[in-house]
Amino acid sequence: MNDMHIRDLIQKFNAGNLTTAEQLEFERLIEAGQVDPATLEALAPVGQKLDSIEFPSPSADLDDRFYRMLALQKRQARSGFSWSQFFSWPEFAPKLAFASIALVIGIAVGYWVKPAPGPDVQYARVTNELAQLREMMMLSLLEKESATERLKAVNLTQEMHQVSNKVTGALIQTLNSDENVNVRLAALEALVPYAKDVSVRTELIRSIGRQDSPLVQMALAELMEQIQEKKSIRELQKIIQSDKTPEEVKDRIKESIKVLS
Amino acid sequence: MLKVKDGDIDKLGLLFERYKKPLFGFFYGMTRDPELCEDLVQNVFFRILKYRYLFRGEGDFKTWMFHIARNVNHDHFRKNKWKNKESLDSWEERLGTDENRATQFHHDEELDMLTLAMERLPEDKREILLLSKFQDKKYKEIGEILGCTEGAVKVKVFRALQELKEVYQQLEKHL
Repeated sequence: MNDMHIRDLIQKFNAGNLTTAEQLEFERLIEAGQVDPATLEALAPVGQKLDSIEFPSPSADLDDRFYRMLALQKRQARSGFSWSQFFSWPEFAPKLAFASIALVIGIAVGYWVKPAPGPDVQYARVTNELAQLREMMMLSLLEKESATERLKAVNLTQEMHQVSNKVTGALIQTLNSDENVNVRLAALEALVPYAKDVSVRTELIRSIGRQDSPLVQMALAELMEQIQEKKSIRELQKIIQSDKTPEEVKDRIKESIKVLS
Repeated sequence: MLKVKDGDIDKLGLLFERYKKPLFGFFYGMTRDPELCEDLVQNVFFRILKYRYLFRGEGDFKTWMFHIARNVNHDHFRKNKWKNKESLDSWEERLGTDENRATQFHHDEELDMLTLAMERLPEDKREILLLSKFQDKKYKEIGEILGCTEGAVKVKVFRALQELKEVYQQLEKHL
């Protein structure tokens, strides 16, 4: 677009002779900054008049109201704490950021400088390890050929405060199948504290029928009597009915059945 | 303003003293109601104080202030749409006919007539002319207030001046 054409359009505008298309073109030139509306002669008088319009001034009442508001805001700012102000985002955001950073630093420092586990924790760990060691020792001793060794193994369980299922299982196995009566009796004695356990109790009842030693049979009958296990009556009756059972044993077991039933 | 933002709210008094008149003039040009204008000016300064943290200090304070003023004006008229319609009707009644109105003016006839012509303009055109007047024709800043380009502002001012001229000429014919 040459200057000549622009000047031509400006002249036409000032004369009020622009067509609709030229008006649009003229506006595009204004938008592009090629024509300054402030320099247009046709609009200059109205523009100048607009500039010289004097609007009234606000009354003193506005001053009073403004300074009252300012004083109130100052007082509120000075009077300190207000929940709404505390949580207003521009002021709350840095507080929140600071608190978050402090928390993260606190956790990190706490993690790095945390003391080694206390004596109690260490003691518990050692005790636990010792119990596991005992269990292993007891289970390996039960495999020994020597009855004395196996007795030692059974006695080891008495030093244990809490035994695992593996240990009770090994004791029941010993009770059922160890060839030595003393070992079997010791195993039965060792199982007494765990007779409250349903699975141990069931195994003890089953064990009655497997015993051929009168001593173990009587010990089991006494135990059943002690723990008041009525389900054992059937097994005990089988012993009575057996021809292999000595009469003294039968009498003793009959007494136990009487107590139980 | 940056001091106000940092908590020295006493300094808002200085800004108030400097800008209360142009701000009042802007609202007066828009509403012709001095009492309402004072309310709106007060409202603008209240918002400045309340939202002072939003002033980033990158631009001109006056531009930011007029941006708020424009919002205050729009909010007011949105809230009082019904009332304003009524008040405009009564205002027209008070104005009477153009002829009667024109004969009332003995002094500064032209300026009074231009004021009357301004009242006849649509609100958006009146607003752009007032912003242009009170922002000293800084079209770039006006563009920031209105959310448009400098070129678009120039075109808007141009069209508004054209319409103002036409209305003014029509009023002149009745003299």
